[in-house]
Amino acid sequence: MGCEVVTKKRQGIINPISDCQPAGGQFAAIGMKDCIPLVHGGQGCVMFVRLLFAQHFKENFDIASSSLHEDSAVFGGKQRIHDGVMTLARRYPNLRILPIITTCSSEVIGDDIEGNINICNKMLKEEFPDRQIYLVPVHTPSFRSSQVGGYAECLKSVVKTIAKEKVAPTGKLNVFPGWINPGDQAELQHYFYAMGVDATFLFDIADFDSPIMPDKSIHTHGRTTVEDIQNSSGAVGSLALARYESFAAADHLAQTFEVPAHKLDTPYGIANTDIMLRKISEITGKPIPESLVRERGKAIDALQDLTHMFFADKRIAIFGHPDLVFGLAEFCVELEMKPALLLIGDDSTRYKRDPRLLAIKEKADWDMEVVCNADFWELEKRLKQPDYKIDMILGHSKGRYVAIDANVPMVRVGFPSFDRAGLYRHPIIGYRGAVELAESMANTLFSHMEYTKDREWILNVW
Amino acid sequence: MPLVLLDCDKVIPEREKHVYLKVDGEDTRDYLPLANVATIPGTLSERGCSFCGAKLVIGGVLKDTIQMIHGPIGCAYNTWHTKRYPSDGDNFQLKYVMSTDMKESNIVFGGDKRLYASIIEAFDEMPHIKRMIVYTTCPTALIGDDIKAVVKKVMAERPDVDIFTVECPGFAGVSQSKGHHVLNIGWVNDKVGQVEPKITSKYTMNFIGDYNIQGDTYLLQKYWDRLGIQVIAHFTGNATYDDCRSMHRAQVSVVNCARSAGYIANELMKRYGIPRLDIDSWGFNYMAEGIRKVCTFFGIEKKGEELIAEETAKWKPKLDWYKERLRGKKMAIWTGGPRLWHWTKSVEDDLGIEVVAMSSKFGHQEDFEKIIARGRSGTYYLDDANELEFFEILEKVKPDVIFTGPRVGDLVKKLHIPYINGHGYHNGPYMGFEGFVNLARDFYNATSNPLLKLAATDIREPEPKEKLEAAE
Repeated sequence: MGCEVVTKKRQGIINPISDCQPAGGQFAAIGMKDCIPLVHGGQGCVMFVRLLFAQHFKENFDIASSSLHEDSAVFGGKQRIHDGVMTLARRYPNLRILPIITTCSSEVIGDDIEGNINICNKMLKEEFPDRQIYLVPVHTPSFRSSQVGGYAECLKSVVKTIAKEKVAPTGKLNVFPGWINPGDQAELQHYFYAMGVDATFLFDIADFDSPIMPDKSIHTHGRTTVEDIQNSSGAVGSLALARYESFAAADHLAQTFEVPAHKLDTPYGIANTDIMLRKISEITGKPIPESLVRERGKAIDALQDLTHMFFADKRIAIFGHPDLVFGLAEFCVELEMKPALLLIGDDSTRYKRDPRLLAIKEKADWDMEVVCNADFWELEKRLKQPDYKIDMILGHSKGRYVAIDANVPMVRVGFPSFDRAGLYRHPIIGYRGAVELAESMANTLFSHMEYTKDREWILNVW
Repeated sequence: MPLVLLDCDKVIPEREKHVYLKVDGEDTRDYLPLANVATIPGTLSERGCSFCGAKLVIGGVLKDTIQMIHGPIGCAYNTWHTKRYPSDGDNFQLKYVMSTDMKESNIVFGGDKRLYASIIEAFDEMPHIKRMIVYTTCPTALIGDDIKAVVKKVMAERPDVDIFTVECPGFAGVSQSKGHHVLNIGWVNDKVGQVEPKITSKYTMNFIGDYNIQGDTYLLQKYWDRLGIQVIAHFTGNATYDDCRSMHRAQVSVVNCARSAGYIANELMKRYGIPRLDIDSWGFNYMAEGIRKVCTFFGIEKKGEELIAEETAKWKPKLDWYKERLRGKKMAIWTGGPRLWHWTKSVEDDLGIEVVAMSSKFGHQEDFEKIIARGRSGTYYLDDANELEFFEILEKVKPDVIFTGPRVGDLVKKLHIPYINGHGYHNGPYMGFEGFVNLARDFYNATSNPLLKLAATDIREPEPKEKLEAAE
């Protein structure tokens, strides 16, 4: 009984759970409007990340490569940065933000990004005196941290570079949601509307679920503007909802412009959502309306139908982003499930001290394991042991074959989810997200009972 | 007509050399787009890197081989779950990818020890697997890790395992094409000739440049079985590592994808005297021609004609049903390179489809010679086209369908143009007789989708007299 925290002993990785830093940097960067990131590295560092985004969202995103080759490896990639910046500026007249995202190759070569940005700024000023294009240095060597760190780094650097001075109070709330889906953002936006709060998302990814329009216009891009970022310095506060992806940016605004930083756990489940709504009310002075009390009640009502009848004591394995994994583990506890195996996929030592993990450890009166720096082999090996019982897996699509081969039902959650339709549209945070996710878990269990003829007759009456 | 400078390329005029509009009376002596040269940074090209050319396209197809990628995690993560090449080896090649997960201290102090440990761990964790390919990546090439020395050490310690090394970091060369080349030559240098195959037929061949996309290899294998031809090695669809070590024993190398694997066929010819026979495997006319060539080589023409007659009788009526409905439809092909010349004339001859624009990511000028020779007049031929060029060309040629990858496919969806996965297919296989009916079906289903009409409707405008219905 109790929770054991271990670290993968092997040096290598067999089937990775996490991607590298530049991928996270790119995900953050596409959340801005009139922005095309330039990834300084080999072409594959862009092409496959764009493919990953396309797989998850079924959308195309504009990201450029500096097409680094052998000559740059020998003589440095300076010219490639200059050419990339100027070509983008010349061909995209609306371009206003241009993050320059480094990779392992450009970091090993040691190209001076800040120095080259100074040179490019001069070139831009000369050729386009009427345009202001923000060049943002984003240092994301792939051999450090993971996609999580890359997201945090890009967000922080964008705020640092573009929010240069304290603006007059805007009355708005900065929201740093971290790595979520458009469906989650819509859920957050729904609360802000309900409470009459004017919020600015950094970054606003609502149009990552974008329409086909009669006039064939393309809307697939982030919506956070230069002005949104500049005005973040005059906000009433920053609501940071992802410890590992967005706390650093909120801290920066607090230290530099005295924008109060409100750092909360991502609102997975009922209790975490309660904390967030109370906090929003506290920051803005706006009351929580009756409509949200009813919505919360509906959610608890729906979850009650499932918990002790179907969910109780089910042992769950969860992998993916740390904020997601810890948040879902707490949600499982709310549902009377046992988070039995958590897999966190990079080498950061901070996760072991995460307060959510410490709280669950305190509570765990069941067998539970947390594997740090994990890969999918850690999951697969455990599932192959006959006495290692896991009833359901929660995680992203890269783990699909582990679940398929072990014949364990799996609910797709997190990034990337490419083997189930439209998941980016469905919230998993907030009250409605809690219901959507719990019902999806229940229905997956029910289908599994039917396919495996495992007490499927229970559902004859419900 | 000379080469074309598109409006979006006014500020990068060197792109003119890569865009060609063919008119009647011209041939490739007059104009040939520049190809296989470095991309202009910041153009939003669709090219990948040479590492992926080696790992994703060729090496990663082998069904019994650990893919060990020596570098930070992204190179393994991002190239995993991107291909549709199944195998009869429980899809080991789709399920597993390994990485040395290089961290900063390894970059500073060297990653040789970490690579050694990762290789040993991988074999220990998967004792039934005895074959491996180790790839370098950008940072491990830059810091100069000696992967060959590490592999030599492991192979000396473990005589039952065999490991191939590919030293092809992503920054090498201008596109994935470089990776194809490096892997081909490396393989024939290091591995071919090491295993003696069991010969079971008078007629033996290698089938080169087919990667079993959605079962292409399975489908063609049925033909070779019926003809009594033993395929010593598929390079590399549904193949084992050791199959490909025994390629020197085939009587002929039949080549489908000349771009990614023509190199090894040439080397087999040079070193072992194995003749090279190029065929096209997509399309009725081409497949029949290919089977005739192979059968003529072995002197089994009659058998070949029987097979062609049988397959034609079975599939031609289905193909013709689609041909009636697809005649005159316009198609664009935006894929790697060879499929442009494989497809442009086969869809025209077999289905009456007009290919109006083609873009190649990594083809060489040699490919463009074939593409333009086989392609139509009035068609645009682009090398390494980028996003703005795509938009401009689409406006000019207005295709009904684009055969391309998911990224471009998701982009053109907004322009009301359906895409068919030209790399991994929608519902393949597409090779062979049966496969081309699949391609025709997917084309037909894409163009007859009622949503295309609904997408163009603006509901703020007056209601049309007739209801827009799914069934027309």
